[in-house]
Amino acid sequence: MAKEYLGEFEELVLMMVAALQEDAYGAAIADEIETRLKREVNLSAVHVTLYRLEDKGYIRSKMGGETNERGGRRKRIYTITSAGLAILRTMRDARLEIWKMIPQFKMSGI
Amino acid sequence: MSHNNVRPPQWVLRFLRWFCPDHLAEEIEGDLLQRFARDVKTFGERKARRRFTWNAIRFLRPGIVLRNKLSIQLTPFYMLGNYFKVASRVMLRNRLYSFINVFGLTLGLTGACLLFLWVGREFSYDQFHADKDRIYKAWNREVQNGEIQCWSKTPRVLAPTLVQEYPAVESAVSYARYGSSQLFTAGETRLIKNTGVYTDAQFLTMFSFPLLKGDPSKVLREPNTMVVTEQFARQLFGDREAFGETISIEESGYTFQFTVAGILKDLPPNTDFYFDYLIPFSFLESIGEKDTYWKNNSVETYVKLRTGESADQLNEVVKDVAKKHSDKETTREIFLYPLTKMHLYAGFENGVPAGGRIQIIRMLGLLGICLIVIACVNFVNLSTARAQRRSKEVGIRKVTGAYRYSLILQFLCESVLIALGAGLLSLILVYLLLPSFSTLIRQPLTLDFFSPYFWTMAFSLTAFIGLAAGLYPALYLSSFRPVRILKGVAITTGNRGWLRQSLVVFQFGFAVMLIVSVIVVSKQVRYVQHREAGYNREHLVYQPATGSLQKNYSSYRNDLLSSGTATSVTMTSAPITEPWSNTTSLQWNGKDPADRSVVERFIADEAFSKTAGLTMLQGRDLDLQQFPSDSSGALINEAAVKLMGFKEPVGEIIVDGNTEWHVVGVVKDFVITSPHQKIKPLVVMGCQKNMFSTIHIRLSAARTSQENLKALSSMFAKYDQSHPFEYHFVDEVYQRKFDGIRATLTITGIFSALAITIAALGLLGLSIYVIESRVKEIGIRKVLGGSVAGVVKLLCMHSLKPIFLAIVLFSPMAWLSMSWWLQSFDYRIAMNVWVIVSAATVILSVAMVTIVSQTLRAANANPVHSLRNE
Repeated sequence: MAKEYLGEFEELVLMMVAALQEDAYGAAIADEIETRLKREVNLSAVHVTLYRLEDKGYIRSKMGGETNERGGRRKRIYTITSAGLAILRTMRDARLEIWKMIPQFKMSGI
Repeated sequence: MSHNNVRPPQWVLRFLRWFCPDHLAEEIEGDLLQRFARDVKTFGERKARRRFTWNAIRFLRPGIVLRNKLSIQLTPFYMLGNYFKVASRVMLRNRLYSFINVFGLTLGLTGACLLFLWVGREFSYDQFHADKDRIYKAWNREVQNGEIQCWSKTPRVLAPTLVQEYPAVESAVSYARYGSSQLFTAGETRLIKNTGVYTDAQFLTMFSFPLLKGDPSKVLREPNTMVVTEQFARQLFGDREAFGETISIEESGYTFQFTVAGILKDLPPNTDFYFDYLIPFSFLESIGEKDTYWKNNSVETYVKLRTGESADQLNEVVKDVAKKHSDKETTREIFLYPLTKMHLYAGFENGVPAGGRIQIIRMLGLLGICLIVIACVNFVNLSTARAQRRSKEVGIRKVTGAYRYSLILQFLCESVLIALGAGLLSLILVYLLLPSFSTLIRQPLTLDFFSPYFWTMAFSLTAFIGLAAGLYPALYLSSFRPVRILKGVAITTGNRGWLRQSLVVFQFGFAVMLIVSVIVVSKQVRYVQHREAGYNREHLVYQPATGSLQKNYSSYRNDLLSSGTATSVTMTSAPITEPWSNTTSLQWNGKDPADRSVVERFIADEAFSKTAGLTMLQGRDLDLQQFPSDSSGALINEAAVKLMGFKEPVGEIIVDGNTEWHVVGVVKDFVITSPHQKIKPLVVMGCQKNMFSTIHIRLSAARTSQENLKALSSMFAKYDQSHPFEYHFVDEVYQRKFDGIRATLTITGIFSALAITIAALGLLGLSIYVIESRVKEIGIRKVLGGSVAGVVKLLCMHSLKPIFLAIVLFSPMAWLSMSWWLQSFDYRIAMNVWVIVSAATVILSVAMVTIVSQTLRAANANPVHSLRNE
């Protein structure tokens, strides 16, 4: 799996999919990123990232049921796959390893 | 809620649905609408709409758009890399085949590219004039000896008459190149030029020849003004400013002053107009040479119609203009012919347009296409012949799930790759060869590397060739059934054989035609060059008779003769290598009034036959000193005797206008116009003072030409200090008459060599293939006692059959086309069978060498090598 690599935004979206669970669809993810991270996101960027993650096999999708909002359009609900969870874990572990290498006094000495 | 009633812009949704993949459209729309509803609440309707539009447009990105028809689109792109990889491996593995394909195609493309550039240039002639569709050239049409003759020289008075009398005519100009030598003096610089043109003031507003200095609508209005080209101005003035300067021009002893009123940008190469300077007709008229004579057809007339006027309607009325102004009896009619057709379509047969240069240009285009086709034939033949070798690959690909179309795509990729490689190589070749090719065809051709049009054309042409050449092999190769191939059943090429053979027949047939043309053209060149010119061109020089030379002519002549430099000197109206004037209106005793035969006129003072080295058949040479009456004497040639039907020519009277010329002698026919044409009737008229322009000098054969020239130049300097010393050897000038046909010979030679090389390359490839596929058969034959000669014969016959067929099928066509070509010459060789036989021999020997070199090797090989591995 040496070549597998997630970009920062990809990782963010993937975590959102995992976090939002049954409510993970394009607009919701974008809203969530905007509210939690105070960061302007472009809807189309979120969509493209979702499709790319799906291509890579980290998430899968199914169409949700009919709704009366959104002009009657259905949502595409994403769920994280075990490969997706695995790479999130690997990345978190790798980061933690590096955190541990940073001396504590430097952290407190800000 | 009121927000629910707010609708987003519908066109945005439509646009989104258009570019967005169907399976994604619904959720994207949903997400966008959800955001829109939120934005309406937070920002209000206007801003929400704007954000909606902007958000939607941002979906127009590769990550979304390229998801259209996902499975179909991505696979070929993904495989493309593989195809190119396999193609380059196949090419590298079979170096010889790749070489034959690429090299053959490169040669074909290079040849074709040069030809197409040439053809393109020819089509661009005089197409750059802004009003080209309204400009016409006036032609004359007259019934002569039962046939309608057309010619483009018209009277000077035609142009002003047309403007005055026909309202449809916006402007009309006369354009005359008299070709007389004029001496230019500007400060210290002296130059002799004969490349001037007399024209009317509107010339520069009618045609789009841009002026660097001066106003096109004002220059040439005054009689003593002139316009010079940039290049000529530089010759005269160097780096000094020429505009507004005064130049003096001397012609036949008279000197006039002109002001440079305009400087013309140098003429583009693609125009039939050719001049270094323009002088207004009003100048000639100001010195009293107003030409209103309707029978003097000495200028070209160009007419610009008013916008919207039709030339056909004008032609209906304009044809009678000569009858109206000249005599009532004349059958001469004027008609207008478009400027845009002047270069390529100026051939008339019995009064109706009949091709012209376009016929040659069409042949060139055809030649180019044929060159490409025969190179493509090599590709088709070699690929199908080698099908057996690729069949396993096709089988494996099919078994692992390749569709037929992806195999087709793969083979097309290969051929396009080869074509592009060849295209690139030939582009380099064309670039390198272009300067010498331009010299050969005497047209400065250029490659326009900066025009996107050129690159598009070059790329699409090569890609098209790749596709065209690759299509059939691709269809054929991809049609194999994997079961049969992988079981080891051989592919039967039996019914493909005839296609391959007929393509070879076409290739070699084309080569046969080209070789026949090379042989015929070279024979014709040799034949004409060895034609008896009828006069002695050795040691004969001519020089322009300048004004002061004419004044001191008799002393100059005496000096030349007494010093022993010359043995004979004659002053004439033109160099002996050029016709001077011709007429249909000579009268003689017993002339049929309906006879409109053309008779050449020439003027010489005395001793013409001695100077030129003509053979006197009857009577005597012109000799003013012994017979003062010879100022009205004339010599005629045999052709004239025949035309005029004189029994006893000496003493007959020939009337030209108001002058009676009495014949004093008959000379043997000699070439004065073109050595390719029949010798025309000629009358050499005696002394007519103001018509002389040239002095012919027969140098002493006893001295070297260097001594003679040295003496000549010092004597010239004695009588004329103003002109530079100028002389021409007649034999050199005579050779220039063959420049055109020699260029034709070189061009046909080059292109037939190309065609033969390409065809021979193809044959080489095919014969290698044939031997390869029959190597076991050869081994078995030898084991069973077959001789080397027997095996060679067997293999050769198979390969030579299509070549025999090509010779049989294409020789008649070659015969017909070359007979047609020869018809343009009066003095020509007769086509005979030996031409075809020698062409056939050339072709057969090329083919034999190609094939036998391969078969011999195969036949000599030890059968053990070919048979042991099974």
